[in-house]
Amino acid sequence: MSALPRILDIGCGRKKYPGSLGLDMSAAGQADVICDWEKILPFRDSSFEQVRLVHIIEEVDNIFRVLAEVHRVAKPGAHVTIITPHYTDHASYCSPAHRWHLSSFSLWFFSDKPAEYDYYAPANFRERRVHVQMLRLWRFLGIEFMVNHFRWYRKFWEYYLSFIFRGKTVEWDLEVIK
Amino acid sequence: MPRILDVGCGPTKYPGSIGLDMNASTAADVLCHLDRGGLPFRDNSFDHLRAEHIIEHVADIIATMEEFHRVTKPGGTIFIATPHYTDYSSFRDPTHRWHLNTYSFLYFYPGGMHGRDMWYTKVRMLEKRNYVSLLRLWRAFGFEFLVNHSKMFRQFWEHYLSFLIRGKLMQFTFEVIK
Repeated sequence: MSALPRILDIGCGRKKYPGSLGLDMSAAGQADVICDWEKILPFRDSSFEQVRLVHIIEEVDNIFRVLAEVHRVAKPGAHVTIITPHYTDHASYCSPAHRWHLSSFSLWFFSDKPAEYDYYAPANFRERRVHVQMLRLWRFLGIEFMVNHFRWYRKFWEYYLSFIFRGKTVEWDLEVIK
Repeated sequence: MPRILDVGCGPTKYPGSIGLDMNASTAADVLCHLDRGGLPFRDNSFDHLRAEHIIEHVADIIATMEEFHRVTKPGGTIFIATPHYTDYSSFRDPTHRWHLNTYSFLYFYPGGMHGRDMWYTKVRMLEKRNYVSLLRLWRAFGFEFLVNHSKMFRQFWEHYLSFLIRGKLMQFTFEVIK
């Protein structure tokens, strides 16, 4: 009996993460498992040490429901990597399949969740790392460094500056808490 | 005593109102999901309806406004609070489906859209108040005053300035016409 790979790549498309088990809705890519991730993931509880969702959550019908399934199939302490366009990037608006326009604080309440929010977002995660990638010019001017190294500056940037020094992608490394 | 409905009341229901929410761990008196069928009230039941930070979450704004309009008496008022689409809070919550501006409800005004009534909905309401607050810095410079006291400046701001001098919260009061 062969064990499952320890990494699950949800929405792997044509560029499956090396060494991972690829899952996609379409059979056209490199998926090993074809399934609609909006419904249910066809794995047992606590199966994976890492789950990747690269440019997926901006398209799903219900982000919290998908993350609840991810939480279920991930082991306690597993890493969940999420990459999505920042809402100030043109890519956020390029695809008509994008339902959600997100910021670097969009998953904030997993880390500091009031009790009544369990209703909306039942899974528990902790933000290990949030990284905002910016356009080359802003990176060159050191703004990307500031945004990623000082939380207060990231907040100030989100409130006042992000339509000028526009973001590109946001990457989260979440820890699964069970 | 006026009959008041607080839609999406959450843990802090408006004093003297009937609270409606989909989450049972709130102060709600009536449990109901706005996206799954209409409001469980007769026509013309309320003098005042409030929906604070709700309209940006619903699946269908037009259908929801039709329900709000139906249960409110002629001459009754509807209060709506929602983030302006240039505020970071519009993009912080991954359940925000809609990103709106101060003209988003022109859709329901007589002659509101390009001088013509919209024929996609029968909802008709008058705008009693349309206030947009700005970030503290811009308020200190007097922009909030200008945006709310001059129709011309409001239009100039929405067209030219709002990604720079960003909006925050919008508060609308409508009078229901039937």
